[in-house]
Amino acid sequence: MISAASASGAMPSAIGATRGVRRRRFADALATVVLWTMACSIIVMLAAFVLYMLYLGAGAMTPSFIFGQPKETTAGGGIGPEIYNSFYILVLTLLFTIPIAVSAGIYLQEYARPGLFRTIVQFSAESLATVPSIVMGLFGLLIFVYTFHWGFTALGGALTLTLLNLPALMRVTQEALGSVPDTLREGSVALGGTRWQTITRVVLPSAIGRMTTGVVLIAGRIFGETAALIFTAGLSVSVNAPYDPNPFHTAETLAVHLWYTRSESVVPDVYRIGNGSALVLLIMVLLFNVSARVVGRALTKRFTGRTS
Amino acid sequence: MIAPQARLAHRTETAATFLLRFAAGFVIVAMAVLLGYLAFEGTKTFTADHVSPLVFLFSSNFSPDTHHPGAAVFIAGSLLVTLFALCVGGPFGIAVGVFLAELAPPRMTHVLKPAIEVMVGIPSVVYGWLGLSLLVPLIREHTSSPSGFGLAAAGIVLSIMILPTVITLSEDAFRSVPATLKEGSLALGATRWQTITRVLLPSARSGISVAVILGMARAIGETLAIQMVIGNATQFANGIFAPTAALPTEIVTDMPGATQGSPLEHALFSMALLLLLIAMLLILLVRFALRRRA
Repeated sequence: MISAASASGAMPSAIGATRGVRRRRFADALATVVLWTMACSIIVMLAAFVLYMLYLGAGAMTPSFIFGQPKETTAGGGIGPEIYNSFYILVLTLLFTIPIAVSAGIYLQEYARPGLFRTIVQFSAESLATVPSIVMGLFGLLIFVYTFHWGFTALGGALTLTLLNLPALMRVTQEALGSVPDTLREGSVALGGTRWQTITRVVLPSAIGRMTTGVVLIAGRIFGETAALIFTAGLSVSVNAPYDPNPFHTAETLAVHLWYTRSESVVPDVYRIGNGSALVLLIMVLLFNVSARVVGRALTKRFTGRTS
Repeated sequence: MIAPQARLAHRTETAATFLLRFAAGFVIVAMAVLLGYLAFEGTKTFTADHVSPLVFLFSSNFSPDTHHPGAAVFIAGSLLVTLFALCVGGPFGIAVGVFLAELAPPRMTHVLKPAIEVMVGIPSVVYGWLGLSLLVPLIREHTSSPSGFGLAAAGIVLSIMILPTVITLSEDAFRSVPATLKEGSLALGATRWQTITRVLLPSARSGISVAVILGMARAIGETLAIQMVIGNATQFANGIFAPTAALPTEIVTDMPGATQGSPLEHALFSMALLLLLIAMLLILLVRFALRRRA
């Protein structure tokens, strides 16, 4: 940061400010004001969003809406099964994503020597990270719906989201491991620990806080993902049971429901359902964000005794 | 003589290495299968339906059923909303990046950073819903646009959505400029603003281009937020408030009604392939920008 004193140009007044100097100082002050305004406007905008969603959706927040069944053609539908499906697909996705992404991240950060294999893994991960979620959704459609003939399923949706979120979690893992000081590793190896022992007993416990923060933030993103699920998990809740534990049945999530209600559905209370669903999604995102910090900090303290 | 314990440790080591390598290999296989499968499916428009790539890229007549799937409207729509987002969200994001790197007192950073993280987390449909219930009525009431849906609504929503990417990455770019350069400029009597525009901006140029390119990558693939506000009309936008369509929005709009194996379905997969290629091109650009810095 540049200190305010040097920036305002504390020149000896004997020299006197020429017109050029005055103009420069004015430009500097003006820029400071403009930059502050822009930064503040982001906070104001976000606050306004949240308040506006609260204003729109608060009226819909009744138990019959949050826990009720959706309706196809009549008013008064709820979002209970959709909320369940969102969590169900989230858990399935994390179940697949965490082992693969954490292993691949450990491999890249702790094991891989520079070389062709590592370069290709890194390039693949980078490319996978840029695949737009709608394109990933069409790939899921090709694989799980067309090739495997599963139809629209919770499992197909979860596997599609796994591919979509692998690169992000790999990066989180790599960054968390990278933040562990090498002295810890050297200490473990000096005591006769193998590489695997060093990683599982020394490096991972030190990195677990940061990794958890990353996982919870990614979980928030999975919870709100839509485009990749429309053509893989489907646009309707399971007909077999509202809270269906079978991964081979359709599973419309809350985010998909919000989009579907607006663009395809014929229910008369579209705006009530949309406003309510949007508010629930927003509250979930805020909860995921807050818990990411709290849990991450708690784990770091528990495993390393450090407070940050 | 090796103790059994040490032998066990050695075996675990070998098994672990194998498993980790396997997970890393999975990433390669996943990307290869995705690229191969989409390339195969996305080129059926040209191989099975015998449509000329020129028609697909440059014709604005989108009638796949008569073997004339011209996607020019959607390509232009995608480029225009992305350009809109870059023109509005780009400078704004870079400015806030400078603010965070150079001006922000710690207390402000502690508020702004979590706010930006929340912005990343807000689902795309919620942005779309906000645009629908806030922005579209505003545009309808205050401009000549009869519906409010169109390029401007989509562009504004997208500008907001790329902000976190551009802010975070350009902040990193400004922070990575060596302090000595900045100190030199200040020691010569330059004001803070002069230092930012004449020293920091030029030195952080490649990092800032990475920020903008990755913002662009986020914008070009964004689907539902803009699908809800762009109007979904198969026509070129003849004004900033005119309804139009983009590649991802057209895929979402038409895919539910497309039969497997139909020319329409093939055309939509070709559009998905095009999106994927654009995204990968942007990644290559990032690599290029980063290499030039190094």
